[in-house]
Amino acid sequence: MSFKDHDKLTFIADAARDFSARRISKRDFLKKMSLAGVGFSAFNLGLLGSTRPSRNRSFGIGDAAYAQDADVTKWLKDVSGPFKGTKIRYTSEATPPTVVLDKLKGEFTEATGIEVEIEIVPLEQVLAKATQDVQGQLGSYDLYYLDQSWVATFAQDTVDPIAYYKEKPDLAMPGMDWDDFSKPLVDGLAVYDGHWVGIPFDIPIMVTMYRKDILEKHKIAPPNTVDEFVAAVKMITEAEKANGMYGTGLQAKSGHYSLECDWTQVVWNNGGSIFTKDKKFSGNDEAAVGGLKIYQELLKNAPPESTNSTWDGQFQMMASGQCALVNSWDEFFPGLDADGSKVQGLWECKRPIRGASYRSPGDAGFGEIPNPAHQGGSILGLSKYSKNVDAAWIFMQWACSKDIMTRCTLGGGFAPMRISSFNDPRVKAKEVVGPGTTRHLPIVLETINNDMASEPDMPLWAGFSNNEIPVALGKLLTGQDYGGDAKKCMDDVAAQIDKAVAEAGL
Amino acid sequence: MSSNTASLLPRETASPESKRGWLPSWLSSEHPFPWLFPAAALMVVFGIYPLLYALTLSLYKKNAATRKMVFAPDHNWTKILSDERVWNALFNTFLYTGIALVFQLVLGMLIALLLDSDRKGYGILRAMMTLPLVIPPAVTAMMFLLMLNGSFGVLSRGLIAMGLLPTGFSILGNASTAMAGVLLAEIWQWTPFMVLIMLAGLRSLPKEPFEAAAIDGASGVQAFFRLTLPMMSKVIAIAVLIRGIDLFRAFDYVKVMTDSGPGTATETLTSYAGRIYFGNADFPYASTIALLTLIIVIVVSSAFMKAFKVKL
Repeated sequence: MSFKDHDKLTFIADAARDFSARRISKRDFLKKMSLAGVGFSAFNLGLLGSTRPSRNRSFGIGDAAYAQDADVTKWLKDVSGPFKGTKIRYTSEATPPTVVLDKLKGEFTEATGIEVEIEIVPLEQVLAKATQDVQGQLGSYDLYYLDQSWVATFAQDTVDPIAYYKEKPDLAMPGMDWDDFSKPLVDGLAVYDGHWVGIPFDIPIMVTMYRKDILEKHKIAPPNTVDEFVAAVKMITEAEKANGMYGTGLQAKSGHYSLECDWTQVVWNNGGSIFTKDKKFSGNDEAAVGGLKIYQELLKNAPPESTNSTWDGQFQMMASGQCALVNSWDEFFPGLDADGSKVQGLWECKRPIRGASYRSPGDAGFGEIPNPAHQGGSILGLSKYSKNVDAAWIFMQWACSKDIMTRCTLGGGFAPMRISSFNDPRVKAKEVVGPGTTRHLPIVLETINNDMASEPDMPLWAGFSNNEIPVALGKLLTGQDYGGDAKKCMDDVAAQIDKAVAEAGL
Repeated sequence: MSSNTASLLPRETASPESKRGWLPSWLSSEHPFPWLFPAAALMVVFGIYPLLYALTLSLYKKNAATRKMVFAPDHNWTKILSDERVWNALFNTFLYTGIALVFQLVLGMLIALLLDSDRKGYGILRAMMTLPLVIPPAVTAMMFLLMLNGSFGVLSRGLIAMGLLPTGFSILGNASTAMAGVLLAEIWQWTPFMVLIMLAGLRSLPKEPFEAAAIDGASGVQAFFRLTLPMMSKVIAIAVLIRGIDLFRAFDYVKVMTDSGPGTATETLTSYAGRIYFGNADFPYASTIALLTLIIVIVVSSAFMKAFKVKL
């Protein structure tokens, strides 16, 4: 992007932000837009709103401002002829982009005649359904929604989108612009063994979120390091517990992937890793056990319901005012700012807390990248066993196009995959407190570019991260076993994992 | 036979033949097998085939990395013996089944005795007992998950207010209380089933022995233990058998409310098999655990039927 383009976009964004915050009139906004050369075919009613004043207006995805690009519609119509009447299916978790895409899919069907069925189910069921499909090579699902921790497991079951794009030029979407996908996301999420398993679709990433009012009340600066975070959490619990507020809230549900996510982050922050470069489990070494001990300390300063909470429960703790500091998913943020939220505008976010040092990826195993920001991203993969592979491929390109990804962000306020979406004036215009806010996205982009971590890429990881590790952690944290001894717990996990890795011949 | 004689035959004998004139002769009541075919086919497809498939799967060992399966008939069965989680799950399953059965049986009998009356309004009360049964178990589990939430759950709040639990205590998030929390949902939903069975049994009992006992001066308690219970023994045995088999396969409440946790505090055989199947994608081992469950159910229920002389 040239400086001129950048200035223009910034100017548009600033004007849009001022207008949405009612700092300038509609007349002034129209003047500025005409100066910037923006035609109102795209920037019409939806963004400008009605004449009735309404603060925090929701820029719904159905608004005309977000109508589908005419060129995209034309391409869809041109390319989809042979597939009219086809039905494609996939299953996904109820992540914000999926929920928004589910609403937008009607536009795709209208243009192509291809029906799309998205089964929205809990994450563990997504894994179960995909697992059954690939084991029997059934082709029941045309696309797979794959969490980053499963990418290696399913790498052999999907079509490489880059290769397919070149192989099928007649079906290739113009302006797909693969370089527009954030490189750290592609490396951390989509690529396994040198090829793309799918297209990045969703990127929840851990940032540090804090209640500005509570921290100011207790004269605590937003923490930058793990030590500062722990100290602040303890201080707040001590001061606010009587009012029903704890220092932090955790997603420590036993046996759930959410607990495993929290655990990997504390391990990385304490200089540890999950595997060593010689592919041995290292969650039981000194650094990793030290991280787990910090987590045990944090749990004492979190609502007791934490041990029965996944990310949903953690969000509820934040939204209901039960905690003041959280190192967790950025996707929570728009919900906290939503209309009707009792904490609207009270939470702020910053780049994630850092440990003293991090183990280098070279010293970790299976492509693991220890860093301050655990990412829980996902990709859309094209099934090798699909009976409608080309129809699904058209949908996949459309769903991951610039236009749709940006509109998904506008519909839900979560982080996009594409650099252009982060810079879109419409996205910038929503960097204000209110429903579907994007005010956290500059921090998220910085975090993706500088702090992004990644779990190991190995075929057994889906099992370890959903069973052995979180179950043993649950036993430790709820006092069922190990007598509170973190080392003993991790030694037990190490024995199970090293045995399984050896048996699999990895 | 002359036509005159034929006209003298009773109508019932002549009529069916004339009615099924369009059906082939092998579709008569003398040839029952064709009529059994649809049900038998369904049983083969949905019962026998999956069972044989699971049995076959259990004889293989799966490589988690390559997904290749090699024939190793003793691998999974040996693994089960040394898998501590299987033994823990087995213990939890028996515990869950035992506690739930005792509560459901005792409460079911007590409530049935209370509702066994022809007085006005009791019919409505009996009808209301069926309401919990029509709620899907997953929905019941969600209801109790919310009610037992340590922060805002109405049941937890009530227990905290009574001083029985410390502030914010998470019943389902604590290894020592999670099983009780799950059992609460199970007992709430399925006690009415026991009530209905007991009521049906109570209302079919002859009145004469009770009248004779009353004339002889027997108290209500004596009549219950000397007459009602012995006369209801078969009904109770069947109710225990049906609920026992169902409870041994406990999955819904555990999955929704605790996902087998905390740790493995509420992990049952079926929930462990589910986790191995869907989490680790180790289909052979999961099938082996499922078969173990089946074997235990068959052995225990057969022994029970023999001991209590239950004939189905």
